[in-house]
Amino acid sequence: MTDLTIVLRSLSLRRFSTTVTVTMVAVSVALLLVLLAMRDAGRAAFRRGTGNAHLLVSADTSPLVAVLNGMFYANAPSQPIDWAAYMKIREAFPWSWTIPTQLGDSFRGSPVMATSKEFFTSFEPVLGQPWAFVAGKTFEAPYEAVVGAEAARLHGLRIGSELVLAHGVGTASGAAAHEHEDHPVEVVGILAPTGSAHDRAIFTSLETGWCVHAEESRLKEAGAANPGEDDHGHLHVDPEDLRDSEKLITGILLRVPTRPGEQVSSALPVAFDLLRRQFPFTVAQPAQQVGRLFEIVSGVDTLFIAMAVAVMVAGALSVMLALYNSMDLRRRQVAILRVLGASQGRVFGLVLAESAIIGLLGSGLGIALAAIFGTVASAELQRRVGLVIDPTMDLRTIVLCTAAATFLACAAGIVPALRAYRTAVVQGLRPLG
Amino acid sequence: MNALSITGLELARPGGFRLSVPSLSLAQGEQALLVAPSGGGKSTLLHLIAGLEDPDAGSVSVADMPISALRGAARDAFRGASIGMVFQTFNLLHGFSAIENLMVGMMFSSVPAATHDARARALLAELGIDRPEQAVETMSVGQQQRVAVARALACRPTLVLADEPTASLDPANATTAIGLLQRACRDHGAALLCTSHDPSLRAHFSRVIDLGTAEAAR
Repeated sequence: MTDLTIVLRSLSLRRFSTTVTVTMVAVSVALLLVLLAMRDAGRAAFRRGTGNAHLLVSADTSPLVAVLNGMFYANAPSQPIDWAAYMKIREAFPWSWTIPTQLGDSFRGSPVMATSKEFFTSFEPVLGQPWAFVAGKTFEAPYEAVVGAEAARLHGLRIGSELVLAHGVGTASGAAAHEHEDHPVEVVGILAPTGSAHDRAIFTSLETGWCVHAEESRLKEAGAANPGEDDHGHLHVDPEDLRDSEKLITGILLRVPTRPGEQVSSALPVAFDLLRRQFPFTVAQPAQQVGRLFEIVSGVDTLFIAMAVAVMVAGALSVMLALYNSMDLRRRQVAILRVLGASQGRVFGLVLAESAIIGLLGSGLGIALAAIFGTVASAELQRRVGLVIDPTMDLRTIVLCTAAATFLACAAGIVPALRAYRTAVVQGLRPLG
Repeated sequence: MNALSITGLELARPGGFRLSVPSLSLAQGEQALLVAPSGGGKSTLLHLIAGLEDPDAGSVSVADMPISALRGAARDAFRGASIGMVFQTFNLLHGFSAIENLMVGMMFSSVPAATHDARARALLAELGIDRPEQAVETMSVGQQQRVAVARALACRPTLVLADEPTASLDPANATTAIGLLQRACRDHGAALLCTSHDPSLRAHFSRVIDLGTAEAAR
């Protein structure tokens, strides 16, 4: 017979109350863990999207807007960069690679980005993880498209599917956007999920975007009243016919040379400064801007954590109430233990141990609940929106949550333990009734 | 060595209750019946002897140890090692089996832990409990009383205090129960101080202490 046996027996004697209290603690621990995991997963998903690009050049007004538009497809950048400027930037520094991008079209609400083939060979959407194709290959010719995993799933696209792109970001129905219906684009590749915003995008060659827009602008020049009417289809622009003024892009992804296996480079500040001084564009360090975004939303983040902590405190209060109320029923048990030789301190410890065990059991169950919820939610998020969230909880967070829940439960056990400590033995021994 | 020595014990409570025991002692293994009218302070005296209450004056020694001078955990430990108690309502731990009740009784005593199980089983068998794993709340009143006696003796006490142990039993069972208690204490060398308001029990004790008379002194 040990103190632990007495504690466990006491808990099992109040099975219903113990189950409810443990469940309350479990729910609060699970909620806290899920909130922390979701926060971390959200941050990871954002960080993932910046990939291995060191810099982003855009004509947007601020670096944060440039990153949100250029890498997370929030909106089409409002101002273009001409090809000559791109070439100058390309020559201005010994870059590891430069990738021009153009945003502005969409397919049923999914953003379409025109870019070069280097986007698939040099740019890594997730650091250390190059692009992978689940079907097909990258585009080789105009009017071919590579589709992100989520976009393919959302629109039911397969190799050989034909897409009619729309000008503008548009809506899921495409109702508000003008469609380039004369130039359907054929799907030639479908990408594996990356867990980044790129999964919901569709990629074409720069020439595809340029030709479509060149036709449109030349029709306007020719005086066509409405490019959507029959006659606009009679004008056809081939890549070799493009004028320099029609080769417009909206962003440039750049990477400075680094040592093999390294991400940081001492050349980055130099390159950043050079671009800022020599070119009239916004220069952003994507990873830094994502960090800035987290700083901006940290208030909301703190609010969520505070709510979860409040739920944990409520769980602890339920432990206190359950144990405190049980002391009425346990007056006799405490008195008997005292008569048998248990000291006040030992009785105090027994009640405190009960609350600690409730905290530990609640934490264990909470971790299991959070893991189940995380696995189910992760699978569901990937199935529904293609968002890859790693449901694995950080061990440090688990240990901290368990310690916090147990500490709170112990703290909540102090009041009932003091009540047990002060139990008048003689009164407790009197016959009931 | 005396099992119990009381000197100049005084206790007064608001409302006029007053207990005065100038002198009282029990030799090792001696058995005595403590009688007094209802409300005369029998239970209070047992609580004072067990160190569950403090007297206003005087001293109580059990096995020559002045328990009234001990404080806190030391007094609790001494009680757990030297005094066994049997109550009218038995005060067994519900939710625990008979053997577990005895083992909890030994947890706070000086009996070596390795011997707890064997000692508990032997005591229960000796007192006629053949299902030691049975939960006490499912036992008959007679069985519960025997478990209570076994628990009181489990810690190898010098002194057993029995507070109205037969009050809830009919006369025939009361006689059996008091016989069992006396025999068990005798077999284990423990002194017994038993309280009762039942005059028929006087015949079972060679010494009767009346709290209301000079009989208390010895």
